[in-house]
Amino acid sequence: MTNFIIRRLIQTVIVIALLSYFCFYLMTLMPGDPVDLMIQSNPRITSEDVARLRNLYGLDQPTYVRYWNWMSGILQGDLGYSRTYRIPVSDIMGPKLVNTFVLSFASLALALIIAIPLGVWSALRAGTKTDYVIGFFAFSGVSMPSFWLGLILIIAFAVWIPWFPAGGTETIGVDHGSWWSIVTDRAYYLVLPTVTLAYISIGRFLRFTRSAMLEAMRNDYIRTARAKGLSRVVVIWQHGFRNALLSLITMVTLSFSGVFSGATITETVFAYQGVGKLVYDSIIANDFNVAMISFMISVSMVLIFNLIADIMYSFADPRISLS
Amino acid sequence: MQAATQDPSPQYSSKDLASAEHAQSFWKIVWEQFITHKAALIGLFIITLFILIALLAPVIAMVTGQNPEVQNPMNRYAKPMTEATLSADQRENAVTRFQELNPEPSAQIRKEIAEKQLFTFVREEDALYDLANAEPDVQKEVFAKLESPGHLELKQTFDQFSRFHLFGTDELGRDVFIRLVYGTRVSIGVGILVALASAVIGLLIGAMAGYYGGWVDTLLMRVTDALLSLPTLPVLIVVSAVSVDKVPGLRSIITQSNENIMKLVFILVLFSWMTVARLVRAEVLSLKEREFVLAAKTLGARDRTILFKHLFPNVIAPLLVSVSLGIGESIQFEAALSFLGLGIQQPTASWGNMLFNAQDLITEAPFLAILPGILILIITICFNYLGDGLQDAINPKSIRR
Repeated sequence: MTNFIIRRLIQTVIVIALLSYFCFYLMTLMPGDPVDLMIQSNPRITSEDVARLRNLYGLDQPTYVRYWNWMSGILQGDLGYSRTYRIPVSDIMGPKLVNTFVLSFASLALALIIAIPLGVWSALRAGTKTDYVIGFFAFSGVSMPSFWLGLILIIAFAVWIPWFPAGGTETIGVDHGSWWSIVTDRAYYLVLPTVTLAYISIGRFLRFTRSAMLEAMRNDYIRTARAKGLSRVVVIWQHGFRNALLSLITMVTLSFSGVFSGATITETVFAYQGVGKLVYDSIIANDFNVAMISFMISVSMVLIFNLIADIMYSFADPRISLS
Repeated sequence: MQAATQDPSPQYSSKDLASAEHAQSFWKIVWEQFITHKAALIGLFIITLFILIALLAPVIAMVTGQNPEVQNPMNRYAKPMTEATLSADQRENAVTRFQELNPEPSAQIRKEIAEKQLFTFVREEDALYDLANAEPDVQKEVFAKLESPGHLELKQTFDQFSRFHLFGTDELGRDVFIRLVYGTRVSIGVGILVALASAVIGLLIGAMAGYYGGWVDTLLMRVTDALLSLPTLPVLIVVSAVSVDKVPGLRSIITQSNENIMKLVFILVLFSWMTVARLVRAEVLSLKEREFVLAAKTLGARDRTILFKHLFPNVIAPLLVSVSLGIGESIQFEAALSFLGLGIQQPTASWGNMLFNAQDLITEAPFLAILPGILILIITICFNYLGDGLQDAINPKSIRR
C-alpha cells in the first residue's frame, strides 16, 4: 500500500515538473514579451536601452536557463510580481483558491443532492415515461454549454427578475458587522454560479447512479429481501442503495478534479474571483508571472485530486490490486 | 420460438426461409437495432438537417438576399421578426455612393428610365434619388423592366433599404439569421474535422500501443494518461494564446489564410485523441489474442496487413460511437473558446463567438444570447443521443433496461 502511494506520488510530481517546463515554454511562444509591453508606452526608448532591459530581466538567455532561474525563485518562495495588480503573485493566489474551492464544493454538493434521488427514482421506474423524462434532463445537462447556461441565468434572474447579482464574489465597499453578514453576502453571489456548475455535473452523476442502482437491484438478495416481506423502503435503501453506494463513492472522488477544472468558464461568465478566471484574465492581459502560477496551481490541483481519488478508491474497494 | 419447436414445419414462405438462412451483415443488424432507439433516430434526423443547412448556406444567403458580413450601423439590435427600413437620408447616401462607384452604368440606367418613362420623376439627373424615395411597388415595377447593364447591382443596393430580419440584428447591424446559418458551417465543420482527425490519430497510437506492447505501450500510454489527467479548459485557454509564428514549423501547416479555423482545429485535436487511443488499445489487446489473428500470422502476414486488414475493421464500430460523442464535445469546446474570444475570430461567424459579443449586451438585446446557445445545446444533445443509440446497437449487452 505504502509502495503504491509513494509510486503514485512520484509520478504526480514528475508530471507536474514536466508540465511546468512545458508551460514556461508556452509562455515564451505567446505574442509579445515583458520588455515589449514595457516599452510600448515610451516612444523615445533606444535600442541600447531595450538590450539593457532584456539583459536585466535575463530575457536574452535561452529558455532552459530562464526556466531554471524562475524555478529556483519559486522553490525559495518567490512567486514573482504581477504586472497588472502591482503586488506579489503570492498575495493574489490565497483568496482566489479559497473562492474556487467554495464554488466547486458547493456545486458538487448541490449536484449530488439532486442527482442521487433522481437517479434512484429513474432506476426504479426503468423504461417508463418518468425514466425517459429524467433521462432527457440528464442528457441536456451533459450537453449544456455551461457559459450559455450562465448567460441565460443572468438574463433571467439578474436582469429580468433582479433576485441575484449578475456577477462578482462579494459586495464591495460594505462594512460587514458580523461574520454572519459576510457569509450571507457571499452566499447571495454564489447562487447562480453554483447552479450553473451543478447542472453540468448532474447529468453525469444521474446516469451513473441510475446504472449503479439498476445493477444493485438485479441481485438475488433483493428478491430474497422482497420475499421475506420487507417493506419497499427498506429493500430499496438498505439493500439496494447501500450496495450501489460503493461505486458512487468512487465516482464522486474521481469527479472532484473535473468539478475543479470545470469551474474555469463559469467563473469567467460570472466574474467570480477564482483561480480559473485568474488564468483567463492573466493570459488576456499578458501577465506572465500570474498566468504561470495560476495555471500551474489549477493543473496541480487536478492532478492531486486524481491522486487522492486513486488512493481512496483502493481503500474503498479491496478488490483493486495495487501491484 | 415455442411454436417453432412444437411444430417443425410451420408455414413459412420461401422468402422468409431465404432471409432466415441468409446471414445478416453486421451493419444491417446494427441498423435494425439502432432504429429502435427513437431518441437516437430523431438525433440523426436533426443532425442531417443541420449538415444540409451548413452545406446549403450560400444558397440560403442567395434566396433570402442576406449577407453574413454586411454591416448596417443605423440598424443595430433590431428585434427578431422586424422589417428594418432606412431613412430617406440614408437611402440618398447609398444612391450617391452607388453613382460615384459606377458612373457609367448609372448614367445608362438614368437614360433608360427617361427614355421609357418608367415612372414619374422631376429631373433625369436625379431620377435614381426619386426612385429611391418611391413606393416599393413602383421600385419593383421599374426593376422588372430595366435592362441596362448594372441594374442588378443597383437592385442589390435598393434591397438594403428595407429588409426583414427573422432573428433581428447584432451590434453591427448584421442579420443574425444568416450569421447563424454560416455559424452552423463553422461549428459543425470544426466539430467533425476535430473528431475525425483525433479518431485517426487515436486509432494509430492506440493500435500501436496495443499491438506491439512492451516499451512502446508503456511510453505511449504514459503520454496518453498524462494528457488525460490535465484539466481541459485551462490548458486550452493557455495553448490557444500561443502565436502561430513563434512555433517552429507550424506555419507550413497553418497558413495566414486558414489560421482562423485551422489553429483551433489543431489545438482541439492535440487534446482530444486520448480517449480514442485508450479505447482502441483495449480493443486491440483483446482482439490480438483471437484465432483469426493467429491464423493471419501463421500465414505469414506482415504486421501492417494484420493491423490494417484484420484489426482495424473490428474496431470501427466502437470507434464510431466515440467519434459521435467526440463531435458533440468538440463543438462545445470550440464554442467555449470562441466565447472567451480565443477561438474563431470576427468577422467569421461561429455560434461561440456570436455569444462572445452577446455577453455584453444582455440588457439591450437578450435575444442575441439565446439563439446560438440553443443551437449548440440541440446539436450536442443530438450527437450524444446518436452516440448512445450506436452504443446500444453495436453492443446489445449495454442496452439500458
